[in-house]
Amino acid sequence: MVAPIGREARSTGAQIVGVVSCVPSRTRRNEDFHATFGEAGVADVVKMIGVQSRHQVEGTTTTRDLCAHAGRRLLEGLEWTPDSVDALLFVSQTPDFRLPPTACALQADLGLPTQCIAFDINLGCSGYPYAIWLGMTMIQTGAARRVLLAVGDTISRIVDPNDRATALLFGDAGTVTALEAKAEASPSHFILGSDGKGVSNLIVPTGGFRDYAACGDARLAGKLGTALYMDGGEIFNFTLRTIPPLVARTVELGSADGKAPDFYLFHQANLFMLKHLIKKAKLAPEQAPVNIDEFGNTSSASIPLLMTSRLGEALRQGSKRLALFGFGVGYSWAAASIDVGPLKVVETIQA
Amino acid sequence: MSEFHKGIAEILEIDESAVNAATDLHAGEAAWDSLAVVSTIALIDDCFNVMLDGQSLTNCNTVGDIEALIEAARKA
Repeated sequence: MVAPIGREARSTGAQIVGVVSCVPSRTRRNEDFHATFGEAGVADVVKMIGVQSRHQVEGTTTTRDLCAHAGRRLLEGLEWTPDSVDALLFVSQTPDFRLPPTACALQADLGLPTQCIAFDINLGCSGYPYAIWLGMTMIQTGAARRVLLAVGDTISRIVDPNDRATALLFGDAGTVTALEAKAEASPSHFILGSDGKGVSNLIVPTGGFRDYAACGDARLAGKLGTALYMDGGEIFNFTLRTIPPLVARTVELGSADGKAPDFYLFHQANLFMLKHLIKKAKLAPEQAPVNIDEFGNTSSASIPLLMTSRLGEALRQGSKRLALFGFGVGYSWAAASIDVGPLKVVETIQA
Repeated sequence: MSEFHKGIAEILEIDESAVNAATDLHAGEAAWDSLAVVSTIALIDDCFNVMLDGQSLTNCNTVGDIEALIEAARKA
């Protein structure tokens, strides 16, 4: 047995019935950054991160707006009336305000009933498997029968535009996933973990109630306190230490019935890291779809965006076993092994 | 070591035949910067199945310094 790398949980009686991703219509290609970083400067970073284009919001558009568009399309496609929704979870690190919760705003945006459970969860790259676990658990306890998971980020709005490592890497997206009670749904398996030793390695140092920028960390010297700081080397080390055993244990846990995952969906961190993880897990390219080239690293939205942009046809047609791996800021990580499909709605839209 | 030297040559953008223990990491076309360090972490994981931390790699000056870190990590 592979040693456990997080809390292991199992849920029954709930399934994913639809997913819609919404990306901003504005695309920024690598050429658009030549003026800021120079052609060679862009090429150096792109060789590593593998991003060719990314969708980024303009003006005052927020994650909430992208999720509201995705949510409306999802409800329409599923033919769910808004008053049939029992809970809405908003998973993001780019909320509208420090308070109130964005989930409450989205409850009103989508016309959901006031008897609806709505709250925010502050997680980034690990957020999607966490959201599925929590939503399915709410269904299993009987607290809800229909749950919407609004998961997304607009990291382009918090990067330092002069920091090429982050300015080129991130794209924006808002997604909404619908969960519904179904007695005969096959069980889902989850592994969930955290390591706060990574707090300072991926951080927006100021803007909350503690000023990390004032703590004397030499790495932050000369950096913009309100912008995202990333220590790429440390994040890479964390990922290489944590994710290969997470993959092994997730497959062991989720495939006790003898059926291996059809697809492995990794958070789209950067292409170099993805290739390394895929190689370590001995996967064929078609088992582990990639979309970072087209959308960049979309933080919490990257896994549902992979489902809608790369697996739409497969998930519309039949049931697939998916192994999902989210990891990053925190540090926090989460994996899920779930059977998904056939889905009535699985789409990527633009707003 | 040949697979490792080949990878180091690619990262530093120098000729593979020029890579030996005395090779100066700062002498290549490419800078010995965070991108190079991350690539080297992955390369060493591939070749030797050991993980080095970014900070100690950043502090290396020669290929020999890296090889000493690898040896120490393999014995640990």
